Amino acid sequence: MKFTLTMSGADLLLLLPEILLTTWLCVVLAVDFVWPQLRKDRLAYLSVGGLAVVLVTLFWFDLAGISGTLFKHMFVVDRLAIFFKILIVGTTLLVILASMDYVRRFRFFRGEYYFLVLMSALGMMFMSSANDLLSVFITVEFSTFGFYVLVAYLRQDLASNEAGLKFFILGIFAAGLLAYGISLVYGETGKIVFSDIASASATPGLVIGFLLIFAALGFKIGAVPFHAWIPDTYHGAPTPITAFLSIAPKVAAFAILLRMLFVSLATFKPAWVVLLVAVSILSMTYGNIVAIAQRNIKRLLAYSGIAQIGNVLIGLAAGTKMGSDAMLFYLLTYLFANLGAFAVVIAVGNVIRSDEIEDYSGLNRRSPFLAFAMLVFLLSLAGVPPLAGFIGKIYIFLAAIDEGLYTLIVVGLINVVIALYYYLVIVKKMYINEPVDPSPLRISGPMTAVVYVGLAGTIILGIYPRPFIDWVVGATLMFSNLVGPTASVLPPTVLPFGG
Amino acid sequence: MLQELTFGFPILTLLVFLPLGGALVLWLLEDGDLIKRLALAIVVLEMGLAVVVLRSFVPDSAAMQFTEHHQWIPPLGISYHLAVDGISVLFVGLTAFLTILIVLYSWDTVRGQVKEYYMALLALETTIVGIFVSIDLILFFVFWELMLIPSYFLIKLWGTGGEREHAALKYVLYTLLGSVFMLLGILLLDLNYHEWAVRYGIEPSYTFDFLHLLNAPIPPDRQLLIFWLMFLGFAFKAPLFPFHTWLPDVLGEGPFGMAVVLAGIKLGTYGFIRFSLPLLPDASTNSVVVLVLMTLALLAIVYGSVVALIQPDLRRLLAFSSIGHLGFCVLGLFALNFQGLQGSLLTMINLGFTTAGLFFVAGFLYSRCQSTHLSALGGLARQVPLLATFFLIIGLASIGLPGTNGFVGEFLILLGAFKAHWFYGAVGVLGVIFGAAYLLWYYERAMFGPLAQGLNRAIVDLNARERLICLSLCVMIFWIGLYPAPFLRIMNGSVQAVVERLERGSTPTAVAARPLARAEVVEE
Repeated sequence: MKFTLTMSGADLLLLLPEILLTTWLCVVLAVDFVWPQLRKDRLAYLSVGGLAVVLVTLFWFDLAGISGTLFKHMFVVDRLAIFFKILIVGTTLLVILASMDYVRRFRFFRGEYYFLVLMSALGMMFMSSANDLLSVFITVEFSTFGFYVLVAYLRQDLASNEAGLKFFILGIFAAGLLAYGISLVYGETGKIVFSDIASASATPGLVIGFLLIFAALGFKIGAVPFHAWIPDTYHGAPTPITAFLSIAPKVAAFAILLRMLFVSLATFKPAWVVLLVAVSILSMTYGNIVAIAQRNIKRLLAYSGIAQIGNVLIGLAAGTKMGSDAMLFYLLTYLFANLGAFAVVIAVGNVIRSDEIEDYSGLNRRSPFLAFAMLVFLLSLAGVPPLAGFIGKIYIFLAAIDEGLYTLIVVGLINVVIALYYYLVIVKKMYINEPVDPSPLRISGPMTAVVYVGLAGTIILGIYPRPFIDWVVGATLMFSNLVGPTASVLPPTVLPFGG
Repeated sequence: MLQELTFGFPILTLLVFLPLGGALVLWLLEDGDLIKRLALAIVVLEMGLAVVVLRSFVPDSAAMQFTEHHQWIPPLGISYHLAVDGISVLFVGLTAFLTILIVLYSWDTVRGQVKEYYMALLALETTIVGIFVSIDLILFFVFWELMLIPSYFLIKLWGTGGEREHAALKYVLYTLLGSVFMLLGILLLDLNYHEWAVRYGIEPSYTFDFLHLLNAPIPPDRQLLIFWLMFLGFAFKAPLFPFHTWLPDVLGEGPFGMAVVLAGIKLGTYGFIRFSLPLLPDASTNSVVVLVLMTLALLAIVYGSVVALIQPDLRRLLAFSSIGHLGFCVLGLFALNFQGLQGSLLTMINLGFTTAGLFFVAGFLYSRCQSTHLSALGGLARQVPLLATFFLIIGLASIGLPGTNGFVGEFLILLGAFKAHWFYGAVGVLGVIFGAAYLLWYYERAMFGPLAQGLNRAIVDLNARERLICLSLCVMIFWIGLYPAPFLRIMNGSVQAVVERLERGSTPTAVAARPLARAEVVEE
């Protein structure tokens, strides 16, 4: 096959955010090499500055409505891709700010840390734009390489090494599944671009191929039954990386899932809805129930993250325009609340050097600000109004109920109650118990900024979500004619179980 | 169905958010005395606003009054819609009234973490007032859930019992469990409206607005499903027998202020008359539903009263008597006639003066004897005559002695129940008798006889603040008891509208107001 590549200046413009970031991470690395005496937090600010520029570019793309495809449809830029990129770059920016104190714990390679974080972010930006199976494989692996190193960054810490090894082995395994699945799909259809595959008919090879691809992406989003690596990896990894890992790769993997399911497999919707419903129910229930037994806050957030992903999958399972809107919105609320919660964990951990929930006793006495912030983040994750998580859950459930997914909703609602239980356990520790050491906690400036951003996002998304809903609705316009709500087509009395 | 009246000034928004704003101001202060005074000023101001609303309220009208309507999340059909009508306006006044009394009561009984206490109390007031004035179901749900947060802290941090942590968690999780099913019901209501709106091309096709939802007819079997889902939400919150198990724990272990709120402000039964009956008239009049609800109500009356009879602790006794009274309220509601509904609504208000009043009395006893348990009480009448007198007056009102408010409410409920079926009325009367028995028996053992062991002879009688609390409660008790007309007139219009709605069923009525839909409906 002859492969010719033609690119014009306008084509390059589509790559502008990626090009900027690539340049910038080279700059960061070069500065670190050339100027070893430079204080490492300057390097962090340098990275943050670069990311801010990328973020501005992305917002400009979004407002200007720039879209198009590159490299024979491998790489797509549309509002959906831009939405995901904004989420990823925003998360990276906050994670770097949150890392600045933590990085002092590393004995070596403090400068390279920022480089690796930026590189992972770049990989995930490409993931958001992946439009064929080949680019899915490349971008997924690209984004994971940085994480392999970052997870094991605490070299003296056995837990971190264990985390890195587990993450690596399961990551490689997932990569194998992905490659094998892609080869099967390509073998059956002879096509790799998402929209071309849409016309394929269901053959056993194709089905197995897609199941393998889903399994691989399931590892990335950490849905049950592909969650095995999550608790240990989250526990052992440096906390800022845990925070990063709990949001950005999941967001990026959802970008791929969304495109694949809604574009390539739109005709097979009944089949994948069943699959997603099952995975969603398992993730929510397993995540929440196991979270109850956790003593370590990072592990608890890991399991609660698994459950949250189950919630996101409800939106995906609805398989409608509204479902994808709800999913995007939910990811947004999850980003702020989860990142905020991890920011508090990092801030507390920097001082007390512990992540045990027991050590959060009396946090309210030691730092009312952190305790209040944690309260808000946990309540938002639990879906208590009027915080972001509540609107997100309403949106998701509304999308699902339009599709008649009653079992899923009932399970989801019961899980809300279970989740509130273990979140309240932390609240109780923070507010009711007496601290062992009542000395006030000191928080650095960048850390405070991250917590404030999380708070602002969590509260604004709850109280005034309208512009954000408009944004997600605009980002998924491409799906509006693909799958419409089916509920209105049904006769109104048809319900799986009526009184 | 319902007309809307506006008021030039967003007084309901102010009513809802004044306490919350006050709580934020308290946050900035450090001085304990100043905090208490400011909290009192805020709740008195809130009462003033509530009085303005009550005085400007047009009685004998079914209209939604003081309406405020803004878009909140248009893509999901969620709006910021506040209004009061004859059903809810009295609750707003009651909430403001009780909060003042709680602040007065807490003046020197709450010593630890004073600032946080008043902040939580004011936040709680915001959420409760919010529940009563919300017309949009999601907004209603927001306040309904939000109420759990200050409640949790109030019970946990200022509870008096050793099991308060357990009680707080139990309360939050039980209520939440019911609420999530209610949320599903709310979503189904929205879905039903959506289908109807899409068929007739009405925009916007999503809404959670109570007044809009009334327009869409709901198929009977779906009504039943939604009814039971919402029932769970209201039944856990109320709490109705057999969903009541959290109530004795919370009332027994929590602080007295919280007990006053939970026993005095009947959110669960309010939910039934506000949303379930008008939105789901066919389900509400369904014979199975009525039978189940009436049976639960009668069981609650008998169970609550009998168990109250054997309680040696006044707080647990009052908790079970609350369960019995809630049975009465449900009995009136599902008699489904005018007297029943009116009596039920009036009883909900009355309980805010009687049961809540008895909790204040229990609080006075507790601050004197460090217990409300019979083993620590006895022969108090001679030591604290004023307290004993007010205990008796409020107790008699709770029993329903003619001349007090309890009588008017219970009489109307029994009238309604007899009209529905003689059997309901007959069992209901039984409850009244038991009610007299448990309370008077407790009173006799606590107040008369020899002074209990270990009690200091120098127990002081009610101080000025406590007298003020008792007096204002007594004023309300006799006002409603002797001259209930103003209160009944306020509710008449709305109650009548509910009754009509129940008789007519869920056929579209206000469709004519939407020119787009009219032609198509005629075709159907």
